[in-house]
Amino acid sequence: MPRITLTLLVVAVALVLGFGPLVQAQQPAPPPTWKQGQPPSMADSPLAPIAQPPGPKAPGEIPVDKIKVPAGFKVALWASGINNARVMTWGDRGTLFVSSRVAGNVYAVLDKGSTREVKVIAKGLNMPNGVAFKNGTLYIAEISRITKMVGIEDKLDNPPPMDVVYETLPKDLPHGWKYLAFGPDGKLYFNIGAPCNICIPPDTHANISRVNADGTGFEYVAHGVRNSVGFDWHPVTKELYFATHARDWLGEDMPSDRFDVASKKGLHFGFPYCHQGDILDPEFGKGKSCNDYVKPLLKTGPHVAGNGVEFYTGSMFPSEYQNRAFLAQRGSWNRTQKIGFRVMMVTLDAKGGVAKYEPFAEGWLQGDQVWGRPVYTQQMKDGSLLIADDYAGAIYRVSYQR
Amino acid sequence: MAAAAPARAADLEAGRQKSEPCKACHGADGNASIPGTPSLAGQPVFFTHWQLIKFRDGRRKDPQMTPFAANLTDADMADLAAFYAAQRPTPRPAVTDPPKVAAGQELAQQHHCVSCHRPGLVGHEQIPRLAGQDLAYLVKLLRAFKAQTAGDLDGTMTTAAQPLSEEDIQNLAHYMATLPPTPSR
Repeated sequence: MPRITLTLLVVAVALVLGFGPLVQAQQPAPPPTWKQGQPPSMADSPLAPIAQPPGPKAPGEIPVDKIKVPAGFKVALWASGINNARVMTWGDRGTLFVSSRVAGNVYAVLDKGSTREVKVIAKGLNMPNGVAFKNGTLYIAEISRITKMVGIEDKLDNPPPMDVVYETLPKDLPHGWKYLAFGPDGKLYFNIGAPCNICIPPDTHANISRVNADGTGFEYVAHGVRNSVGFDWHPVTKELYFATHARDWLGEDMPSDRFDVASKKGLHFGFPYCHQGDILDPEFGKGKSCNDYVKPLLKTGPHVAGNGVEFYTGSMFPSEYQNRAFLAQRGSWNRTQKIGFRVMMVTLDAKGGVAKYEPFAEGWLQGDQVWGRPVYTQQMKDGSLLIADDYAGAIYRVSYQR
Repeated sequence: MAAAAPARAADLEAGRQKSEPCKACHGADGNASIPGTPSLAGQPVFFTHWQLIKFRDGRRKDPQMTPFAANLTDADMADLAAFYAAQRPTPRPAVTDPPKVAAGQELAQQHHCVSCHRPGLVGHEQIPRLAGQDLAYLVKLLRAFKAQTAGDLDGTMTTAAQPLSEEDIQNLAHYMATLPPTPSR
């Protein structure tokens, strides 16, 4: 893939906004995004995305005791009543900022010892999934812009204006919601997902990108990434690790979602030509070779919907947990036998390969009934682990006692 | 700003009482009679609740609805949505034009309406029932989705409405308005 300059990017973005997928009057109408790529043989499939409830569950409706964790660990309901709770990030002074997606809210959660107080600090936003915090400032990523609230922890009851950091981003809603995080280089990283289930995306899409904290210096970091809404940097190597959702409608057991490492800038991870490192797309893979793209570090499973990625660096869990990656998997819809709805953990070996991939927390799926969807994790100062559940609108805390 | 309210189960009877101010436009049982105003009877709980959230937070705007939704609590919304979902929808009187209905039926196929709205366009979870809805309201909403001002939850309808011409919108609305208003299950 040729290097893409900022000028080209601006032109491409303008093309997308002006003449892109939203305006195709002469074309046959495309099906809704989630149904794209469905083979005619599956036209009568009852499979469809799981509807997001409009409100959070009451504490009494949240069966925390169903969540299974390894021996010695304990799970408690830490906060509830947070509609569509997604990404969590800590303020300098201990405020937990929590994002949502379709609920359009950003929350501040204050730890009051035995209880938590939840404040809505922004509402009516355009899928504000990404939140990141640095030097007293909260950064929020919506579909097509990144904004910041300066000094927010002083003004939780009267939040400051959302100052624009960067807004030259595509406006496509499908896979347009963003994960947002500061890298070890101090830059803001985010995804620009493919605006489809499966398609040849515009050059501006299906990537992980970054800008400086002041909004300058936009550049692409990784290409061929269908949609990554979770990433973190290895505590020792400082390399970028990320989860990716794979395309739908290729069957129960393929393609696998993936967990990858971007060892350098500019690599191509295969979308839309090659899935899971070894399957060519039946439509867009013709004439392509999977050997031309980076293979997954780990196939995390078909349709598991891997969201949160977080390396453990705390002191509470047993020593073997150091530098393990927690992968929160929100769970499948495009599979008759549901899979995911769990937090997995990855142990890397000395060479960076995967030594072990095993469950850490599961139980949100009982039989084929879903009562919650773990979507992101966030370590606490004491080394315990918070898990956000966007379906129940709750946050759990996993602790360990030796 | 507002603190998030503790969640609790919806209360249908409380919803009936809270619907008092809604009656003037939406009807006592959620079957409206004013052209341009939607019937809420038999609409899925998730759908009505999400719309109220969007009116309250400003993603969806309407001169009549915005002030009503501004002060609703999460519990109010859950109660109202539960109340309306339990009401029996009745057909709206509409003068529909058979050639438009026929063209609309064809368009509904081409534009994959049943993919989300289900066969019979009866709706499901966060997706509304269109069958038997008010003709003028259907036209108004389709125009708003095309104009990207309808406050879509996830972008699906905004995307779907982009290829529609004004004639398509009229035809689709005529077709939807003639379908029997079977409540979503």
